[in-house]
Amino acid sequence: MQQRIRIRWTKRGRVRYVSARDLSSIWERALRRADLPIAYSEGFTPHAKVSFPDALPVGYDSTGEYAELTFAAPIVADRDLARLSRALPEGMDILTYFEVPDGAPKLARMLRATMWELVWPAVDAAELTDRLTARGRALLAADHIEVIRHRPDGDRTIDVRPAVLTLAAATRRAAPGPGGGEHTVLRAVLRNDGPTVRPNDLLSALGGDGGCTPAAGAPREVDIAAPTRINRVAQGEVDDGGLREALTGEVEALVPDVDAEAA
Amino acid sequence: MLGSAPPTSAPATPARGARGGYRRPGTRAQLPPSYYEALEPLLGTVKKPAQYVGGEHNQQEADWTAADSRWLLCYPDTYEVGQPNQGIQILYEVLNRRPATLAERLYAPWVDLEERMRERDIPAFSLEGHRPAWAFDVIGVTLPHELGHTNLLNLLDLGRIPIHAAERTEEDPIVLVGGHAAYNPEPLAPFIDAAVMGDGEEVALEVDDVVAAHKREREAGGDVDRHTLLRRLAQVEGVYIPSFYAPRYTDDGRLKATVPIEAGVPPRVPKRTVQDLEQWPFPQKQIVPMTETVHERFSVEIFRGCTRGCRFCQAGMITRPVRERKPETIQRLVEEGVKDTGFGEVGLLSLSSADHSGIGKVARDLADEYEGTVTSLSLPSTRVDAFNVTLSNELSRNGRRTGLTFAPEAGSDRMRAVINKMVSEQDLLRTTEVAFSEGWRHVKLYFMIGLPTEREEDVLAIAELGIKTYELARKHGKGNKVTISVGGFVPKPHTPFQWAAQDSPEEIKRKLALIRQTIKDHRGLKLRTNDPEEGVIEGLLARGDRRVAPAVERAWRLGARFDGWHEMPTLDTWRRALAETGVDLDWFSHRERDEREALPWDHLDSGLEKDWLWEDWQDALSEKELDDCRWSPCYDCGVCPGLSIQHDTGYDGGMQLPVVPSGLGGNEQLPVTPERYASGA
Ligand code: SF4
Repeated sequence: MQQRIRIRWTKRGRVRYVSARDLSSIWERALRRADLPIAYSEGFTPHAKVSFPDALPVGYDSTGEYAELTFAAPIVADRDLARLSRALPEGMDILTYFEVPDGAPKLARMLRATMWELVWPAVDAAELTDRLTARGRALLAADHIEVIRHRPDGDRTIDVRPAVLTLAAATRRAAPGPGGGEHTVLRAVLRNDGPTVRPNDLLSALGGDGGCTPAAGAPREVDIAAPTRINRVAQGEVDDGGLREALTGEVEALVPDVDAEAA
Repeated sequence: MLGSAPPTSAPATPARGARGGYRRPGTRAQLPPSYYEALEPLLGTVKKPAQYVGGEHNQQEADWTAADSRWLLCYPDTYEVGQPNQGIQILYEVLNRRPATLAERLYAPWVDLEERMRERDIPAFSLEGHRPAWAFDVIGVTLPHELGHTNLLNLLDLGRIPIHAAERTEEDPIVLVGGHAAYNPEPLAPFIDAAVMGDGEEVALEVDDVVAAHKREREAGGDVDRHTLLRRLAQVEGVYIPSFYAPRYTDDGRLKATVPIEAGVPPRVPKRTVQDLEQWPFPQKQIVPMTETVHERFSVEIFRGCTRGCRFCQAGMITRPVRERKPETIQRLVEEGVKDTGFGEVGLLSLSSADHSGIGKVARDLADEYEGTVTSLSLPSTRVDAFNVTLSNELSRNGRRTGLTFAPEAGSDRMRAVINKMVSEQDLLRTTEVAFSEGWRHVKLYFMIGLPTEREEDVLAIAELGIKTYELARKHGKGNKVTISVGGFVPKPHTPFQWAAQDSPEEIKRKLALIRQTIKDHRGLKLRTNDPEEGVIEGLLARGDRRVAPAVERAWRLGARFDGWHEMPTLDTWRRALAETGVDLDWFSHRERDEREALPWDHLDSGLEKDWLWEDWQDALSEKELDDCRWSPCYDCGVCPGLSIQHDTGYDGGMQLPVVPSGLGGNEQLPVTPERYASGA
């Protein structure tokens, strides 16, 4: 009588510095603290059956993490997952869940695209938003935009363009005070299937400081600073208006609510 | 570049002279800044950033202004190594349980973060509130060994605290050290205000009372200063104030004595002994790390102290006598702790956990409790007998019988008589045979070389014992493995070997080469060694006197940090520091001391009579063994008189083993029936 549940969860605040390899023990201990009947793998070193579709780079925020939990016995999902959410470290919260019916497609197949959000500090907002908008249009109009990614094991040229489904820049006004003022926000929906393209690769393809060297089609000069925050907003399918979230079907708008409070 | 963040600066550290306000008790205190905002932009650029953010389950975050006294508990190594330390977690819990006391934690930032902190003027900060170290009242440092000394200086400096105690004023914290290496704090004497001898639970609270009362008195306008506070601390039993004592030397440079130079302080500072562990069932609310550490488990100290009398073992000598926790308390602590923390592993800790008089019942009950779950149990044991195998079988019910560890410590029967590790080769081989026949696949054997009186044949005996064990292993399975782990011996204070000469690293290397040469044809027999150079600094700091302190400072200034880490080879830096400060390594480490010579820790009383230690040293030299006083008559080492206890063992009226010892070896030497108590004192 196993029960499979898919959840969307957050990784914000201090826990954004927790690495992907430490996540499984954090979840396993939280499940034990919440006293939930998680299933374990067979073998001499059993592991809790919690699977994560992919790793979020250390230091990124996320409101769009997902996991599939397999329980050895049925749970009362809303009550028990609320308890699990409380047992998780601060900054990790379960936002929504979905009981997996038999024959449902694999979780990874429901997460074909990711909406990323890049937020800059409250300087140069108008000009920066304009520049990103213009460069974004040019990128969408191009067939290929290449950047060279540098890694200890060697350089690799990546074509960013095929991964970009849609993007838009906007200026968001946050209440005055620390972190307040006008910020540029870039939202982009990137493909999860195909070669991995991360927000910093995209940023480099737009002439931003994403750590890659521009190549064919990318602006030669790096004239946009690295953002202060990168957030994985949600995952699902691309939609005309932005991204259709995998578990709820709700659409996350490409142009963010420009009067939102600062995060 | 568009969108560049305006340069932010870390909150400024107030000048000395302007820090007093932050230290005031209660609501009158100014709030020190949090450095989290300043730290955050750096975290993306350093290794393992999660170690710096805090926020773990069971972290205690208290309001600065709700506390009259504020402690920063410090482990002078990385979070990864220091976080599991039980000493810190005990004090963290007992101090934070007090309504008007706050305790936070500090670990050493790795060199990558340190560099950036210095560039940006970010001081050493606490993990909970990211508050600067200088704002706390007490920096409570645990020194489990000597290789954190340079890190301690570095943390003080990073924390904007003058590294020299003499330069500190009323508005600087009290730097207080404890732990095993604090039994000879002389190489740190100029840098610390106080050292605490022995068990920390009670004395930490007494120190807290003195500090809080002192602050309240000052607040009320009392004419009290730092010197008054130190004098009051010196009245707390077990607290040693190095600046109140001075060493006297003979003309040839030997130590004559270390004597009080302040009226009213004790000529010898006694260690503290918690007599009833049942009153201190801590730590219960153990911190659950969010990033990898060396031990991730819920740990319960099942007893404290050890009287096996291994002559090399400082921990065994200085923690006497044996005090056990009741089996039912252990059971309760484990069950509650596993629920509270979610840890999947339980450690039953002590110096030799298989020696708890009720361990059979404890192991059986816990194994029953967690049968069929994924919770695993482990305990460190130094026993080399069949009981150890039986116990390990019990504890591994849930898992695979992979590695089993034994610590014969020396290769030959003669050498084991010298170190008082009472097991014969015959028993040892029988025990490993039992282990392999019961399905264990990998046996690890721990040894030391460089022991007093060691001859070439003793060294070769390690290799030969390894080979014999390996042959037994192969008999029971082609895939079975044996590893021999060999480390260089470092003589430690308050042990019978405190007079011994330490082997030079060259000598250790030569001996290791002998072992390597002898086993080279046995491919499945593995040898693990430590870097022989690592023992050099440890040995010097273990038995050095105050004249070594300038070398510690010099080595730190030359860049020595993380002296115990392979990644940080600091020996050359140290050699330069020794040369520049005129410290003679040979004289401190590689010379045998004689009976008349005063030792730098003679004024620090671990309870052991120096006469008894000398006698035991002489017994060692004549290869005479000494029984454990738990099951043979007291031999007056000096520890017990004055305590209201004898050995506090046998809650169950003796051993009630869940499983009969296999009778295949080992237990002729170690009675495992209630008679062992009857036959004892
Ligand atoms: S005083 Fe006697 S009983 Fe106590 S630890 Fe020493 S030898 Fe053992």
